[in-house]
Amino acid sequence: MDCAIEAQGLTKVFRNRWSGKEIRAVDQVTLRVERGATFGLLGPNGAGKTTFVKLLLSSVHPTEGLAKVFGKDSRVPAARRPIGYLPENHRFPTYMTGNGMLDFYASLSGMDRTSRRRRGAELLELVGLEKWGDVRLGKYSKGMLQRVGLAQAMMHSPELLILDEPSDGVDPIGRRQIRDILGGLEEKGVTIFLNSHLLAEVELFCRDVAIIHKGRVALEGKVKDLTAGSGYRVEAEKVPERLAEELRTRASAVMAVNGLFRFQFPNREEANRAVDLLRAGQCEIESVARSQSTLEEVFVRTVNAQ
Amino acid sequence: MPSSAVRVTAALVRDTFREAFARKIFWGLFGFATVLILFFLFIMKIDVVEGALATISLFGKETGTQDVQRLVRDVHGAIAAFLYGIGLFLAVFASAGLIPTIFEPGRIELLLSKPVARSHILLGRYLGNLLVVASNMLYLVLAIWVILGVKTGIWSAAFVLSTFATIYAFAVLLAIVVYVGVRSESAVLATVVTFGVMIIGMIVSQKSLLERLLTSEWSRNVVRGIYYVLPKMVDLGNISRQLVRGQSIENWTPVWSSGLFGLVVLMAGLLAFRKRDF
Repeated sequence: MDCAIEAQGLTKVFRNRWSGKEIRAVDQVTLRVERGATFGLLGPNGAGKTTFVKLLLSSVHPTEGLAKVFGKDSRVPAARRPIGYLPENHRFPTYMTGNGMLDFYASLSGMDRTSRRRRGAELLELVGLEKWGDVRLGKYSKGMLQRVGLAQAMMHSPELLILDEPSDGVDPIGRRQIRDILGGLEEKGVTIFLNSHLLAEVELFCRDVAIIHKGRVALEGKVKDLTAGSGYRVEAEKVPERLAEELRTRASAVMAVNGLFRFQFPNREEANRAVDLLRAGQCEIESVARSQSTLEEVFVRTVNAQ
Repeated sequence: MPSSAVRVTAALVRDTFREAFARKIFWGLFGFATVLILFFLFIMKIDVVEGALATISLFGKETGTQDVQRLVRDVHGAIAAFLYGIGLFLAVFASAGLIPTIFEPGRIELLLSKPVARSHILLGRYLGNLLVVASNMLYLVLAIWVILGVKTGIWSAAFVLSTFATIYAFAVLLAIVVYVGVRSESAVLATVVTFGVMIIGMIVSQKSLLERLLTSEWSRNVVRGIYYVLPKMVDLGNISRQLVRGQSIENWTPVWSSGLFGLVVLMAGLLAFRKRDF
């Protein structure tokens, strides 16, 4: 499978002109994002996520290493042709109307006038701003600016969409709408690169993630693999005291809430033996499932381990 | 169908005009030009007597009879001098902010994410800014040219031509705005430095006088050096006046040396913009 994004030893060192102090914002990052992937880049504040995105878009020059977009060196303007981008903390010119803004940025992407008009109207409708096209952006709310910004990023039907905190300032309904739009793009094979601190959102939408910390990739992989636990969870009610004690010795963790026992077992054999004992003891089994971690737990574990 | 490069340039120029409209820069210059035009249309009356002589009256008071050719040439000269002196200062002051605004965080990242070379973005903005000022200058000059032409029957193309000398001088000064804007992202500093270059240029244009006043050869060489390096705004102004009078230009050095200065400074601005991280 070919790559949408490929970073090889990408490094960015910022030097203070006066003190000479160096900050390694991105440090030897090697990362691949396959074409058609939904990829989430996570990391605490100041981890280097936005600098990494800026390196991909060539608004920051690398100190070392190389970034490629669909096989082209990201420093070449043509490499940015298939990219749609929504920056974090964007500042769209407030003197522009929604239509004017879409038209301007689409012109820079090389779209002709007819296509710009047709696509602009389509996308404003898609993001629910069809009645706001002739209104100046200065009158838009933050959520509306995010939505028109997303439309801007989609104007030239990009093959790669890079979104930096796309849900910032958007209400829950708007977030759902954005997720649905992105889902539609994913079905069309568009590669989506999401830079977000909203872990639940990334977990819901992305199939692949990387956690970046102190400028380095601390962890990367498929969300389902990273969140899959190695153990099993058995939940049951009406567990007699003696049986609960016995299972407590076998389980790696036990929690009891309002008569519901939740046993955590390290492997399938122990879980099956527990199920047999619970059935023999006339207990009511509520659920048996492979235990999972949330992305947040994975994130916290990874960051704390560094 | 326009090529992609033309489309991008047109979009950048259009955007500069839109911003100039929104920030009232365009309307400020346009209003100023319109006031002057109305002055020539309604306040200054010219009565041509027997085809060769004319009387000019301001606010109803006559100034005496003059040769009509000379009168028109003097009025053209006065406007050209005014436009070159006050107009240039006003144009730099009003439009200097149009360059650094594109470097605002949150705006520049999106511009740079487009498949357009950085130099193209900056040159597009430069061209847009130049056209905002040039269109207002041409509006003023052409309107006055038509008014005086209709009133006197004298149509001097040299007057219109002299405007291009003023626009050329502005293009040189705008290169300084671009360079300082890229380096500092400050419209105020860009304006101050540009005015500084204009004023220093005016002072060192009095080269002969300064050379007489200065005692050491070293300081004379410094004055000469500054004079040859900086754009020769006073000399360009003289060329503009010569054009209005229909005189031939004998010394083109101020034109090419000022142009060279503008070109070098603009290239330095483009290079700085290419290297910068945003």
